[in-house]
Amino acid sequence: MQDLLYFSQQLINGLTIGSTYALIAIGYTMVYGIIGMINFAHGEIYMIGAYTALIAITGLATLGVAWLPLILIVALLCAMIVSSSMGWAVERVAYRPVRGRHRLIPLISAIGMSIFLQNYVHLAQGSRNIGFPALIDGSFRFGSSEGFQLSLSYMQITIFITTLICMTVLSLFISRSRIGRACRAVSQDLGMANLLGIDTNRIISATFVIGAALAAVAGLLLGMYYGSVDPLFGFIAGLKAFTAAVLGGIGSIPGAMLGGLILGVAESMTSGYLSGEYKDVVAFSLLILILLFKPTGLLGKPEVEKI
Amino acid sequence: MIAHNFKHALFCAVVTMVVAYPILGLNLVARGTRVGLEGADTTTLIAIFVAAVVVFAFQLYRDTLMAALGKMPKLNPLAHREPMPQAKRVKMESWVLTGIIVLALFWPFFVSRGSVDLATLVLIYVMLALGLNVVVGLAGLLDLGYVAFYAVGAYTFALLSQYMGISFWMALPLGALLAALFGLVLGFPVLRLRGDYLAIVTLGFGEIIRILLNNWTAVTGGPNGIGGIPEPTLFGMEFGRRVKEEGNTSFHETFGIAYSGEHKVIFLYLIALVLAVITALVIRRLMRMPVGRAWEALREDEIAARSLGLSRTAVKLSAFTIGAFFAGFAGTVFASKQGFISPESFVFLESAIILAIVVLGGMGSQLGVVLAAIAVTILPELAREFSDYRMLVFGAAMVLMMVWRPQGLMPMRRAHIELKRQE
Amino acid sequence: MMKTSVKKLALAVGASAALMAAGQAAAEIRIGIAGPMTGPVAQYGDMQFSGARMAIERINAAGGVMGEQLVGVEVDDVCDPKQAVTVANRLVNEGVQYVVGHLCSSSTQPASDIYEDEGILMITPASTSPEITQRGYELLFRTIGLDSMQGPVAGNYIVSQNPNRVAVIHDKQQYGEGIATAVRDTLRDAGVEVAMFEGITAGDKDFSSLVTKIKQANVDFVYYGGYHPELGLILRQARQADVSSKFMGPEGVGNKDINTIAGESAEGLLVTLPPSFDEKPENQDLVAAFEAKGEDTSGPFVLTSYAAVQLIADGIEQAGSQDPFEVAKALRAGTFETPIGTVQFDQAGDMESFEFVVYEWHSDGSKTPVN
Repeated sequence: MQDLLYFSQQLINGLTIGSTYALIAIGYTMVYGIIGMINFAHGEIYMIGAYTALIAITGLATLGVAWLPLILIVALLCAMIVSSSMGWAVERVAYRPVRGRHRLIPLISAIGMSIFLQNYVHLAQGSRNIGFPALIDGSFRFGSSEGFQLSLSYMQITIFITTLICMTVLSLFISRSRIGRACRAVSQDLGMANLLGIDTNRIISATFVIGAALAAVAGLLLGMYYGSVDPLFGFIAGLKAFTAAVLGGIGSIPGAMLGGLILGVAESMTSGYLSGEYKDVVAFSLLILILLFKPTGLLGKPEVEKI
Repeated sequence: MIAHNFKHALFCAVVTMVVAYPILGLNLVARGTRVGLEGADTTTLIAIFVAAVVVFAFQLYRDTLMAALGKMPKLNPLAHREPMPQAKRVKMESWVLTGIIVLALFWPFFVSRGSVDLATLVLIYVMLALGLNVVVGLAGLLDLGYVAFYAVGAYTFALLSQYMGISFWMALPLGALLAALFGLVLGFPVLRLRGDYLAIVTLGFGEIIRILLNNWTAVTGGPNGIGGIPEPTLFGMEFGRRVKEEGNTSFHETFGIAYSGEHKVIFLYLIALVLAVITALVIRRLMRMPVGRAWEALREDEIAARSLGLSRTAVKLSAFTIGAFFAGFAGTVFASKQGFISPESFVFLESAIILAIVVLGGMGSQLGVVLAAIAVTILPELAREFSDYRMLVFGAAMVLMMVWRPQGLMPMRRAHIELKRQE
Repeated sequence: MMKTSVKKLALAVGASAALMAAGQAAAEIRIGIAGPMTGPVAQYGDMQFSGARMAIERINAAGGVMGEQLVGVEVDDVCDPKQAVTVANRLVNEGVQYVVGHLCSSSTQPASDIYEDEGILMITPASTSPEITQRGYELLFRTIGLDSMQGPVAGNYIVSQNPNRVAVIHDKQQYGEGIATAVRDTLRDAGVEVAMFEGITAGDKDFSSLVTKIKQANVDFVYYGGYHPELGLILRQARQADVSSKFMGPEGVGNKDINTIAGESAEGLLVTLPPSFDEKPENQDLVAAFEAKGEDTSGPFVLTSYAAVQLIADGIEQAGSQDPFEVAKALRAGTFETPIGTVQFDQAGDMESFEFVVYEWHSDGSKTPVN
């Protein structure tokens, strides 16, 4: 019983992290699906989202606003607006001019952008870790108070629910809305979509904006859940999310969700049953293995090399 | 048209404000035990506003500006010059290079010790960048974990000297070969991946090797690193004040001159210089050999190259292995120069800096890479205030290079035959 | 061919050495101050520079050393081992004979090789890795306690609390792992069960799995070797998951920043710290001098750096010579009164005793000594 509770607790921990990985992974998977490039700077967009949310929360606290839902909504909106603008601007400045060139060129441009954004925040906000207030406190507890108690915090529940809502809305948006249909058309054949009168530039911008907005949601949630932000934490989170996207099959939105959850659980089981030192090793090894043996991921479509 | 532009320009200006203001204009500060918010000073606010106005103006008159730029004669005065005849150019280039090397040989005797030491560091980066240039610039494989091979070279020397007392000269080929072996073994499974996946996988490998070095405390000393790495000797002569190893003599006693720490620094510099020159020459040769042509062929068009009968794996693997070999070289020199190494010298940032050197120098071009290595290492030394902004500038420079001049500052020029114009 | 070039090399080097010797004959004593001015740990570097500057100022105001003025030569090593070697060479160039620095152990180690070889006396006011002074160097001293001193203090305190099971966590860095290992060894020797000894990744944010593991291991004491950003998060996430164990950490966590991260959860955290030198009555006029310049003395390295400069000055006076080897002998022989107490060095160059005190940390950022 004890062991089962322990296992479930680690599972919950893993699923929580996994759902936020999934939120970030959407940005990678959508961009890759449409223009076939890895948006290296996406992790930084997520980091900027977390910073903006914290700035908004602190600002509201200074103004004396204490009503929790208002704080959360304002923080979320601010983070989404700033991150989306960032995503849009990054695409305009660093990716659009190099689109269609040799594959390495957009990638190097993206790495440069990632380094730039990291240092931009580092210089503007300093390198120290800044505490993030725990706005949603408390938890449900299961199990006898003598032994190991399983706890499911309200924050974790919030993360699950928010992720679920975001994913559902996004799926509906992609499958039903006009822009969503255009997105799918562009990802299948950019040139053809262009010929059919779809403003592909606009659709690509929209993809970046949507991905960035979801990353901002993840930024706010994870900031509250973990408790601090610093300019460097976006990079590694971005890598993990990218791993999740590849794991699930890049280009596939349910794949990103699945990949995120698997990765999160794998990580938390590694630290739970082995040692936390090797958490990142497991994540990267998983990535390498997937790429070697099933580069299309779990739910991805095989890619045909066109000549 | 203007109305449309106006709307767009206004939008761009607003985005600029939104992107800049919250991060630059509102600073999170720790007030005692709480986090507070502080508005930035007026200069920053004005700067943000000016930036927005500039963006607005640029977007508004974008079409006119671009058209005007297009009409302007090329700014580069050399753009229209007649290219030098092939034979003359090669001859001149070799003269210039020889001149530079001779200068580099005698230069350390006339400058300060600090500059010589810095120059050694530059040469290490030159070796690294030349090696990475083979992988990225010539073969077109983006390797983001290049620092792993550098670490293998450094750790090989450190461990061999610690456990088996092996000297620098023995460790130099061993470190390079072991790094090459690592390149071969790691490269074999991953090279069939496409470009961007390869980049991510190599990044993963780089991190894994660093984490393993950090966690394998029993052998590598973990985060404590390895100290007491010996300096190179010259025919059994040591450069330290006191002889550390039995059977060796000290340099200053053999020649009956006063001890000076400069001997050691200059000697290391000369070793690094010789190794860097060897690296450059070997790679230069390789570039002209069939394998070098195959690298470029594969970079330019993989499918075409394969249909001409080139083995994709063999060609890529050779590039990967040779790149790793020279990283191992550089690693050994680095370990010897530092006398102490720890995993924190081999982080992803180091890979990024080496990549930045290659990109700035012009992928494939050797002279460009050397100049970029000098610039990237020395600039932060010249302007200390700059050192905080170093990575910011690198990042921006990488983006700008890709947008404007993906071929780099000094793009490679292949030896080629030009048809004579008919008179 | 080889021979002639070697001769040339020797000649040129001889000439430049002679030039350097000529440059040193000025009537001032140059002291290199090496530490991070930029980069992620610049805030610690500031402490070091402000302490050393103040010492130089006050010693000069009191007439200097042997009638000569002290001059500080400040260099920035960014706490990067590579940069540390570069700036060490630059200091050699400058004709500096004494160095106060470096800050990070990983910078101090490679730099000290150069100083020892060049006959430069070095006092580090901040590097705590035991390894640094274990290499038998003649010209290397430090004015701060070792990880191997701090670990046992914490370990013994934990033993005195009679815990059943203890977890020892560290951040897989030189400093954190060193102290954590010392704590674990002390606990084992005293027969306390160490239920967990595990590393985390510095810079990580998610410790929910670790916290669950701590909870499962049912420990009543957790020792963390590392810095405040990670411990702050561990504390916060542990309280969230109802872990009721007592937490303890080294001086690297004793920083007000931990309160901004951990909030209420930081209440009751135990920290081993050097005693607050700035609260000693005999240091009051010194503290006032710092305050007059608008500088803070509460940082752990301000007064150790001050003491390092003062020790160099006192050592020169005692030796009656500016030769670093003579000064080193004098430093090993004598006892010195400094703002960090009476200093006496052992053969390795460490202080004979460096006190650590266990403090209890509060959620408002204040601390009170335990017992």
